[in-house]
Amino acid sequence: MRSYAAQRAALAVVQLAVLSVLVFVLTALLPGDAADMRFTETLTPDQVARLRSQLGLDEPAVERFSHWLGDVLTGDLGTSMISGGPVLDIVKSSVGATLVLTLATLAVVIPLAVALGLVMGTRENGRLDRTITSITLALSAIPDFVIAVVLVTLFSLKLGWLPATWVGGDLLASPALLVLPVAVLLGRTVCLLSRQVRAGTINALNADYVVQARRLGVPRRQLLLRHVLPNAAVPGVQELARTGDTLLGGVLVVEAIFAIPGFATALVDGVETRDVPVVQGLTLVLAVAALVINLGADLVCNRLVPRTELLR
Amino acid sequence: MRARTANRSALAVSATLVAIPLLVAIFGPLVKLHAKPGLPYERGARLGTDGLGRDVLELLLVGGRTALGMALGAVVVAYLVGGVIGLVAASTRHRWIDEALIRPLDVLLPLPSLLVISVVAVGWRASPPAITLAVAMVNVPTVARLVRAAALDAASGPVVEALRMQRESWVGIHLGHVGRAVLGPVAADLGTRITLAVFLVASVNFLGLGLSPTAPDWAVSVSRNREGVLLQPWAVIAPAMMLVAFTLGFNLLADRLVHRSKQLAEAQR
Repeated sequence: MRSYAAQRAALAVVQLAVLSVLVFVLTALLPGDAADMRFTETLTPDQVARLRSQLGLDEPAVERFSHWLGDVLTGDLGTSMISGGPVLDIVKSSVGATLVLTLATLAVVIPLAVALGLVMGTRENGRLDRTITSITLALSAIPDFVIAVVLVTLFSLKLGWLPATWVGGDLLASPALLVLPVAVLLGRTVCLLSRQVRAGTINALNADYVVQARRLGVPRRQLLLRHVLPNAAVPGVQELARTGDTLLGGVLVVEAIFAIPGFATALVDGVETRDVPVVQGLTLVLAVAALVINLGADLVCNRLVPRTELLR
Repeated sequence: MRARTANRSALAVSATLVAIPLLVAIFGPLVKLHAKPGLPYERGARLGTDGLGRDVLELLLVGGRTALGMALGAVVVAYLVGGVIGLVAASTRHRWIDEALIRPLDVLLPLPSLLVISVVAVGWRASPPAITLAVAMVNVPTVARLVRAAALDAASGPVVEALRMQRESWVGIHLGHVGRAVLGPVAADLGTRITLAVFLVASVNFLGLGLSPTAPDWAVSVSRNREGVLLQPWAVIAPAMMLVAFTLGFNLLADRLVHRSKQLAEAQR
C-alpha cells in the first residue's frame, strides 16, 4: 500500500509538471495577446507596442515561462493584465460558487447513484432494473444545456417556482438558487455512476466469495453492505474521478446559463480577453484539482481492493 | 419470440433516431426553400422564424453539417491517431516503445477536456477545423489506451502463439487476427465516443466559444433563441430535438453493441 501510494504520488508530480508547461504553451499559442485585445481601437500601434513591453509580453516565451513558474512556486499566480489585480484574488472570489455547486451536486449524486446501482444490480434484468436502465440511458444522452433550457423554461418562466439566474441573488438567503443548477448537473453524472455501480454489483454477486458467504448463511443485508459494496464501489470510484471531467464541462455550461459568478465564468472571460495570467492561474488550479481527485480515487480503490496495480 | 420482436422494434427505433438528424445533416443543405426573412420570433406556417427573423426550417436544414460533421470528424481523427498509437504500443516487442507511447498519454488523461477545447476554440474563433482537432486530441489518450488493451488481450492469447508457430507473417498476424479482435471493443466504444464528441462540440458552440453566434448550427440555434422560447418554442425545440435524437439513438445502438460483444465474449469462454 505504502509503495503504491508513493509511486502514484510521483506520477502525479510528473503530471503536474507536464500540465504546467502545457497550460503555458496552450495559452502562449493563442493568436493575439492582451495588448491587442484591449486597445486596438483607442491606441496607436506605437502605444500598443509600449504597453506590450510594459506587460512583459515582448520577452521570449521561455523567459516568460521561467518567470511565471518561479512566481507560482512561491505562491504568486501573477497579476491580471486586464484588471491589474492579483490572479489569486480572482481565483478566491470565483472558487466559492463553483465549489458550492459541485459539492451540492456530489452530495446528491453519490448516495443516489450507489442506491440506484445496488437496486439495479441485485435485480439483474428484472423489470425494475430494465426500467431504471432505460431511463438513465435516455437521460445520459441528452446534452446538459438542453436539459437546462427545458428546466428553466418550465420551472422559472412558465411556473415561476424557481429563480432562473443568480444575478442579484444571495445563495445563503435563497438556497432555491441551487435547485435548478444541481438538477441539470445531476442528470448525466447519476446515469454514468449508477451504471458502473450496477455492473460492479453484478460482478461481485457472481464472485465465488459471495457465493460462499451466502452458503455460510451471511444475512443478505450484511452480505450486500460488507462484502458486495466495497468491490462494487471500485468501478464507481474510478468513474467518479472520470465523471469529474463531465461534471466540470457541466459546470461550465450551468454557470453560463444561470449567470453564476464562478470559476468557469472567470475562465471564459479570461480566455476571451487574452488575459494570459488569469487563464494560466485558473487552469493550473483546475488541473491540480483534477490531479488530486484522480490521485484520491486511485488511492481509495487501492484501499478498497488492494490488488489493483499502478495504471495497468 | 416476443422478446425478439421487441428487440427488433427497439433496434428500428434507435436506427430511426440516428437516421433522421444524419440525413438532415447530409442532404439538408441541398434543399432550397427560398424563405423570405420575416419578423423576429414569428409563428408562421412551417416552423416560424428565429430571433433574427430567419426561417427556422431553413436554418435547421443547414445547421447539421457543423453540429454532427465536426464531432464525427473529431472521432475519425482520434481513432486514426489513437488507434495507431495503441496498436503499435501493443504489438511492439520493445517495452520502451510501448512505454514511450503510452506514458505521455497517462499524463494528459486528467486534463479537463472542455477546458482545452474552449481555449483552442476561442483562440481560433469560428474555425471548425481547429475545434474538430481539439476535440480529437482530447479523445486520443482514451482511444489509444482502449485499443492497446484490446490488442494486448488478443496478442497475448494462444491463437497468436499458434499462428506464430505456423510461421504466419507479422503483418498477417497483426492485421488479420489482432486487428480483427480489436474491432469488437472499438465498435462498442465508437457509439459512446461519438455521443461524447457531439456533446463537446455542442457545448462549446452553445457557450458561444466556437462558431459565430449567428451560425445556423443546431447548438448555436438553441443558445441564441432560448430567450424567445416562450414566444416561438420551435426555434429552440427543433434544433434541440435533432441533437437529442442523434445522441439518444447512438447511445441506444452503442448499448446494444456492448451487450452483444459481452454475450459473444461469454459464449467464447
